[in-house]
Amino acid sequence: MATRGTNRARLLLVSLLVTSLLLITLDLRGANVITAVRSASQTILAPFQSAGSAILSPIGNFFSDLFNLGNTRERIAELERENEELKSQVILNENLEGELAQLKGVLDLAGKARFKTVSARVISKGGTSTFSETLVLDQGSRAGIRADMTVISEAGLVGVVKSTSANTSVVLLMNDPAFRVGVRVAGSQDMGVLAGQGRNLYSLQMLSASANLSVGDVLLSRGSSGDSPFVPGVPVGKIVFVDNAAGQLTKQARVEGFVDLNSLGVVSVVLDSRGNNPGDALVPAAPRPAPTVTVYVTPSPTSNE
Amino acid sequence: MSLSRIPLVAGLLIIAFVIQEAFINRINFFLGGFAFYLAFSIAWILKEDRSTAVLVGFISGLIADLSPTLEAPFGLWMLVMTGFAFVLTTYVRGSLDPNLSPLTLSVVTAAASAVALILFLIFGAILGQDVAPLNAVIREISGNTFWSFLLSPLVIPFALKMHNLSLTARER
Repeated sequence: MATRGTNRARLLLVSLLVTSLLLITLDLRGANVITAVRSASQTILAPFQSAGSAILSPIGNFFSDLFNLGNTRERIAELERENEELKSQVILNENLEGELAQLKGVLDLAGKARFKTVSARVISKGGTSTFSETLVLDQGSRAGIRADMTVISEAGLVGVVKSTSANTSVVLLMNDPAFRVGVRVAGSQDMGVLAGQGRNLYSLQMLSASANLSVGDVLLSRGSSGDSPFVPGVPVGKIVFVDNAAGQLTKQARVEGFVDLNSLGVVSVVLDSRGNNPGDALVPAAPRPAPTVTVYVTPSPTSNE
Repeated sequence: MSLSRIPLVAGLLIIAFVIQEAFINRINFFLGGFAFYLAFSIAWILKEDRSTAVLVGFISGLIADLSPTLEAPFGLWMLVMTGFAFVLTTYVRGSLDPNLSPLTLSVVTAAASAVALILFLIFGAILGQDVAPLNAVIREISGNTFWSFLLSPLVIPFALKMHNLSLTARER
């Protein structure tokens, strides 16, 4: 009996593994059915994701905030003071205000470049079991979004639209290991390719060995043919480390992204660049140095004298 | 497993999948994330006999492959979960106490989640998927194991309750 049970389990195992391999082969060969199935699942999931987003927005960062308590001790005193001023505001409005600020920022950026955009809220993220860095937006093909469109936030490049359904879009974030974008250095115009590394640091490989790189250089998207998937001139990040090791064919560097991909609430999808190339116009302004305060102290005569 | 249980098991796995995609994925876990769906599936598989476990592994993999945010080819989770369910029930389940204590089940679920993620990554790499740098992968998997160990005790009783409800009178 046990042998029969074991044989049945093995037969079932082999047939199911063969089915899996068949489906993998079909997908790798680009079968439309499988793309349609995933798109349909996204359409079905969208209302649940919107509901989840609405419910979890105020508490979504609870765990990360809990773990950052040690690092933010210095900020507590400052925040307590600010808290007194914020008591008059309704707590739930803070979330809306944050989204509004992000929306204003991204519209400012798109307006400066004169891009035609559509704004969307982030309703979900890729799970840990997918090993891919993705976001789900609450706007899809009905709003004019198509695959291979550039996604930006107030600070710069976010990623590229991977797929769409009627009311949602899946965005491949720029920190995904599969993500590659052509970039140029603002000013010198040297070109390179930026690759995602799974977090907020990116690797940059220049196309030329003679490229002149230095820490702090700003990188902008180079733009693609027909502006798909990338429109030109969008801020990507700044160089934080230049690898000057001898024997390399081309220069390499480490780049820090401008956009905090973990705290995105609202983003914009560039529907049409209208043929505009903003050049270096979107380079973020350098932080203004704080004015030095000079205090003059006049010694007063003491009673001992 | 009687055929009548299949829609019920698939339905419960779909509910777990929707909870993962719509709610759990929205939470910023600081270190990695919590694979609720994976923990739920593994806890379920551990309570089944070998043939049923393989079938449940296949169904759970099929549902995981439907994730629109997945970059890997369709069928990869199916392949991993089917094979892993067989290994779990043949080699792991057999060497444990038949009446798994909740603590043992939590530890086994957390460890099995980590192994399933590693297998998914290895098979993905073999099929030509881009893999994140090693430190990012280690961070993701160790974070997931940590959260699985911490939060599995909340998931497992729910999974076991659902499992018992899904059994026919004869199977009980």
